[in-house]
Amino acid sequence: MSKATELHEALGAFDKTTSRWGRITMIMGLFFSLAAPAYLVFFAGLDIEVAGILTAFGALAAVFGVIWIVEPLTYFPILGASSMYQAFMIGNISNKLLPAAMIAQATIGVKPGTRKGELASVAAICGAATVHLTSLFIFVGLLGTWLVSVIPGDMIQTVQFYILPTVMGAVVVQAIVSQKAPRSAVIALVVSVVVVFIVQLYKPFGLFSTAVAVISTAALAWVLRDRRTLGSPEDTTAESELPEGPVY
Amino acid sequence: MNFPAAVRTAADSNSTDILAVANSPVLWACAIGVFLVIVVQSVIYMKAARIAAPHIGMSQAELKTSFRAGAISALGPSLAVVMVAVALLTVFGTPAVLVRIGLIGSVSYETAAAAIAANSAGAELGGPTYTQAVFGLALAAMSLGGAMWMIATLILTPLLKKGDSALRKVNPAIMMVVPGAAMVAAFMVLGIGELPKSWIHVVAFVSSAAIMTVLMVIAKKVNRPWIKEWALGIAIILSLSITYAATRL
Repeated sequence: MSKATELHEALGAFDKTTSRWGRITMIMGLFFSLAAPAYLVFFAGLDIEVAGILTAFGALAAVFGVIWIVEPLTYFPILGASSMYQAFMIGNISNKLLPAAMIAQATIGVKPGTRKGELASVAAICGAATVHLTSLFIFVGLLGTWLVSVIPGDMIQTVQFYILPTVMGAVVVQAIVSQKAPRSAVIALVVSVVVVFIVQLYKPFGLFSTAVAVISTAALAWVLRDRRTLGSPEDTTAESELPEGPVY
Repeated sequence: MNFPAAVRTAADSNSTDILAVANSPVLWACAIGVFLVIVVQSVIYMKAARIAAPHIGMSQAELKTSFRAGAISALGPSLAVVMVAVALLTVFGTPAVLVRIGLIGSVSYETAAAAIAANSAGAELGGPTYTQAVFGLALAAMSLGGAMWMIATLILTPLLKKGDSALRKVNPAIMMVVPGAAMVAAFMVLGIGELPKSWIHVVAFVSSAAIMTVLMVIAKKVNRPWIKEWALGIAIILSLSITYAATRL
């Protein structure tokens, strides 16, 4: 057998194994992640209607639908096919998995985009997953659960009551900084203030407010974009173009 | 492990004792299921890489070094995620936080998704209307939303691998402008929508945004990327402390 065919077969086997088992494990992950709410909805004796879930899902799709498609498209050229199935189950892609892969490639001196680079990044993501699962299990699963059981009730209530404004305050600043699109940020601010004001005047509008704000901002940001810098195709795979934090 | 909360109380749609259902053994089993699936996946992938490596002139030592480099570099980001996750334990319960915030999703997306789902039922995330039934609805919506990422990955990856040209021709300018603007708008409107509720909501939102801004400026000035990693966790915990102090005034 010639060297070239041997190489071809070895890599073919790797691709076959990772894409087959990558898909199988991802479908299993999908099953477990949906089994939890399915239990609550159908078996826990809670009064939750399927129609209500569809409404909630519709509201969510109006807000995040674009991101569901765009994110896999964005990461494919950087991750490669085999790592896609790892990354979208382990999560925290831009702030944890990509740096892990890059550092591994730099450590052994291989370039991204090469076959050696791909194997290095697969191994690096496995290493990152090991650390991540361990720290989640110990610090959140065990220590965190214990922590919640000892902190006073009024503190728990404060967290529950004010978690949304607290998280959104920090996240909105983080998103603005990492997107580096000040024009969109200003549009989002103006649209949001208007939408929230309308909700104050007419409460039932609250049901659609998020979707309306998101869709109008996206449309306005596109119409009012800076055509000098955003007219031509750019190399979106460049490192500098990656979102810096856990934006999505 | 013991599951005291779950055994103690039966489900009650109108109860705001979220943790009674959120920490139920079935949800724990599902969370552990996701953990195990990732372990199995990593083992299969490492094995496949080990078999393929020698054929492309890569030594087992290089593979091991890559694994270790990935593990070490993930330490900081993982602990940063842990900090955020712990802050949300009382809102979603441990199993949902482990799966949704620790793994598949992220705190920004999942909190936004839960709030949108609660709003669609005329309720609010975390307030007196955040009952067990609303939690169930929010978890269902968060999970279905997260499933869409996985389904998109499952469908798009083979297509992209074949080099589907139609997908690659998506206008890059649209890709750069629209998703980013949509995300900022979603977080912005959810945050600003909280402001009219009470002055304490204003304290929560403004303090969190201010702390994040300060941390981002510091990170840039001293050029320390780790500050950006930890910024979200620090901002959430500090701002919750400030808010707690405000409620006691």
